[in-house]
Amino acid sequence: MQEGLWNPGKTISQTQNWKSGVSYSCDPADFSYMKVNVPCQDACPALTNIPSYIRALYEEKFATSYEINRMVNLLPGTLGRICSRPCELKCRHGEAGLGEPVNICHIKKAASDLRGLGHSYMTPRFAPVGKTVAIVGSGPAGLAAAHDLAMMGFDVTILEAFEEPGGMLRYGIPEFRLPRIILSEEIANILRLGISIKTGVRVGVDLTLESIMSNYDATLIAAGCYEPMELGIPGEDLLGVYTGLNFVMDVAKGLDVRIGKKVMVIGAGFTAFDCSRLALRLGAEDVTLCIRGLEEDLRVTTDEIVEAKREGIRIQSLLLSKGVYGGGHVKGVEFFRTRPVERSSESRRAVEPIFGSEFVLEADSVILAIGQAPQRIPGPGKQNDRGVIIADFGNFRSTATNLYLAGDYLTGPSTVIESISSGRRAAGKIAEDLLGKKLKEWVVRIKDAKLTDRQRSWDLIPRVEIPTVLPVEDRFQSKGFVEVETGYLPEQAHDESKRCYLCYLHYEIDVNKCIYCRYCIDNAPRDCIKLVNDIFTDETGAVSGYLETTQWTEVSAVVIDNSQCVRCGECVRVCPVDCISVSRMDLVERFLIEETEA
Amino acid sequence: MSRQSFVIIGNGPAANQAAESLRSQGSEAKITMLSKDSFRGYLPHLLPDFISGSIGEESLYFRPHAYYKEKNIFLRLGQKAVGIDFSKRRIFLEHREVISFDGLIIATGGKPRIPEYYQLFEDLMLTLKTPQDAKLWISKLKSVDSILMLGGDLTSLSLTRALLKMGKTIQFIINEDSFWPIPYSEEIYKAVAQRLESKGVQVVHCNKIRRVTQIDENLIEVDTDTCSVRTGAIGAFFGLVPDVRFLVRSGLDIDRGILVDEFLKTRFEDVFAVGDCAQVYHPALRNYWVSIGYQNAATLGKIAASNLLGSDLEALVAPESILDVGGVKVNTSWWTEF
Repeated sequence: MQEGLWNPGKTISQTQNWKSGVSYSCDPADFSYMKVNVPCQDACPALTNIPSYIRALYEEKFATSYEINRMVNLLPGTLGRICSRPCELKCRHGEAGLGEPVNICHIKKAASDLRGLGHSYMTPRFAPVGKTVAIVGSGPAGLAAAHDLAMMGFDVTILEAFEEPGGMLRYGIPEFRLPRIILSEEIANILRLGISIKTGVRVGVDLTLESIMSNYDATLIAAGCYEPMELGIPGEDLLGVYTGLNFVMDVAKGLDVRIGKKVMVIGAGFTAFDCSRLALRLGAEDVTLCIRGLEEDLRVTTDEIVEAKREGIRIQSLLLSKGVYGGGHVKGVEFFRTRPVERSSESRRAVEPIFGSEFVLEADSVILAIGQAPQRIPGPGKQNDRGVIIADFGNFRSTATNLYLAGDYLTGPSTVIESISSGRRAAGKIAEDLLGKKLKEWVVRIKDAKLTDRQRSWDLIPRVEIPTVLPVEDRFQSKGFVEVETGYLPEQAHDESKRCYLCYLHYEIDVNKCIYCRYCIDNAPRDCIKLVNDIFTDETGAVSGYLETTQWTEVSAVVIDNSQCVRCGECVRVCPVDCISVSRMDLVERFLIEETEA
Repeated sequence: MSRQSFVIIGNGPAANQAAESLRSQGSEAKITMLSKDSFRGYLPHLLPDFISGSIGEESLYFRPHAYYKEKNIFLRLGQKAVGIDFSKRRIFLEHREVISFDGLIIATGGKPRIPEYYQLFEDLMLTLKTPQDAKLWISKLKSVDSILMLGGDLTSLSLTRALLKMGKTIQFIINEDSFWPIPYSEEIYKAVAQRLESKGVQVVHCNKIRRVTQIDENLIEVDTDTCSVRTGAIGAFFGLVPDVRFLVRSGLDIDRGILVDEFLKTRFEDVFAVGDCAQVYHPALRNYWVSIGYQNAATLGKIAASNLLGSDLEALVAPESILDVGGVKVNTSWWTEF
């Protein structure tokens, strides 16, 4: 969960509409509870309410499912195709012994694909606040910031250097992963909030940053990272050596890009994979992707790795490039083998070269896709050693008045979902700074719930993999623009949605009514109901652990450990005294200003 | 101080040798062997002979049950490890039991490799790694007379010999993906194809399989980029990959196999990996290597056991041994590529 979501020092506010049985909580303990017990939502940088949209899809409310997404991540159709899916790594269905994570991302794609042509967007609008904001860049961060600011009543203008909006989404991701028709529709939906956009304007070249800042109440730079990084090894300037970003962008722009038959791609991110798969579509016969570390540490999705290999790409791990060689034109790369070295448990594994292990791999084209950095835009405020303006990661402010940074321009290369989250949070901070008050906040919505129709047998449904274009060779038709992942059929999406445990449901035993009969424990599918002597809490007051006991004389309560519970409902069904209640807890964003029109 | 507990995951040559070495070197620790298979350690190279009926099932197994009792080794069959917490030294089994250890030797071996492209058709392919796989073959061969072999590993070639002896018709697709443990070369390709054809095998020359369709229970149609073939069963033989997926994100360094140093040590103290699941860097090869073959595995098992008991023995790259690849003699005892 993002820092600053709640303020531990502030007074707990809890409002309740007793009539509807709904209450809203800002109690830190409830946020802590959500963090532990709905790990998918916590893992999503935009805090998408995943169980909620999966349940809506299960109920065949495709438009609702799409809108639950769009409220916070803005581009569900796009993200359903290209998100890095940090949520799935945390999905409880993927814990040891519980099977595979739910295919959360592709359910999002299904919601987008199946919602029907008559779908109407439900964006709340607020009264104009009389303030103007300029946003440099229309990638995911810029669009997200523009969306939120426009919704909150600001007059927003986007300045985009390219001919069309979308930034990396349009120019950095190949069409076979993200069809432009999907992207264009979702961008148009954001821009229709009254946002002005001027394309073909290069800030720092056609227009100075200072002149923009003097004409707007605030300026946000969300210009992404477009400066390809170099390896700093000999031979990078040989003919036949490309940078990954330029390669992908040239293809996206429709330029005539030529590539060799034996292609080597160096890099480990989505761009490296995109380059590899694009090379195949441009006629390469042999593509090898060389990574420094281990395949298991790659930040791309498992699907991406599998599909790349299925298309014929070979991944060679534990390689560090020493030099590119050739006479005028590239002939190959000399590598060291590497070995992993110590790491902290959370961070990625570091590697070191093994000296004496040098060897050569031949290639007639080499693509260096090792990342990119922000380009310099001349302007005021503190700058790094490359002359790029910097800002505070927490509040997005630069040292120049009313100049903010967001997305990759602030943090360096990140994922689309991280950029969207960054853009939205930056918008909230700009609004707060310009108006002197907070306009939105995250709260935990708690309401009574009933036992769902979820059945224990649904936990045994195998993960439904997304259908793809087959045979593989058909993917290379139509200049390779064919979308590889064709998407779920409605019944497949429905089956996959059944697999979600619905972790937003909270099960609780009323110890005053419990008769300690143990029926619930005997019927529990796993160690989720516990006899405890004591309950431990963290600094927020949330339950952090239990002192379990097997001695009846020491039992002070029977509790449901929601972090172990798979929400099968068996305990509720067998309880003879009806002492187990179900409630629903949703982490939602609440606006603190009055809505003026629907 | 309570008695030490050593756990060995696996039940192949490396695992068995490790257990025996621990005992023979005087360890009085509790030794537990965990095997996901429900049968004792076996010799995989004999499986084709078992399929053809040349040998009986009992000949496959290299240790009687009595051996484990005599050596006071707890052999727990059919107990699959699904995760390990190295900080707490605990192994999680599929049936939710948790086992603690003081020392651990991971010897999970290899499992059949199916390249990603061919995984699309995996359900229609038979592999051959375990006695259970062999029994599936025996059952299938009762109702089919023609078999299409995909890949060109050593098992496929010895099974082909066994099937020909049984009077079956064999078609063989060999291409760049096929050879294992040796890298593909045109020379090997030509030599193996020629040799197979001379034995009466029909070699199908193609680059890719485009579609596999099950017509009925005993008839499968395979469309390739050059032709269509019909067969009763398909065998997939692309070599082995270390069976270590359950350890991904456990904290171990997992590349193709578990990365270990020359002493077979993993990143964690008193935890070793050996045999077909271990991957070792070797300066002479300038590459990582994974051993193949019974003898190599047993040697590595012995070294790991000694090192767990405090020695510092180095696992040298196994000496090259002659392998017969479809009649072509190849010198290798390891593999380095996929």
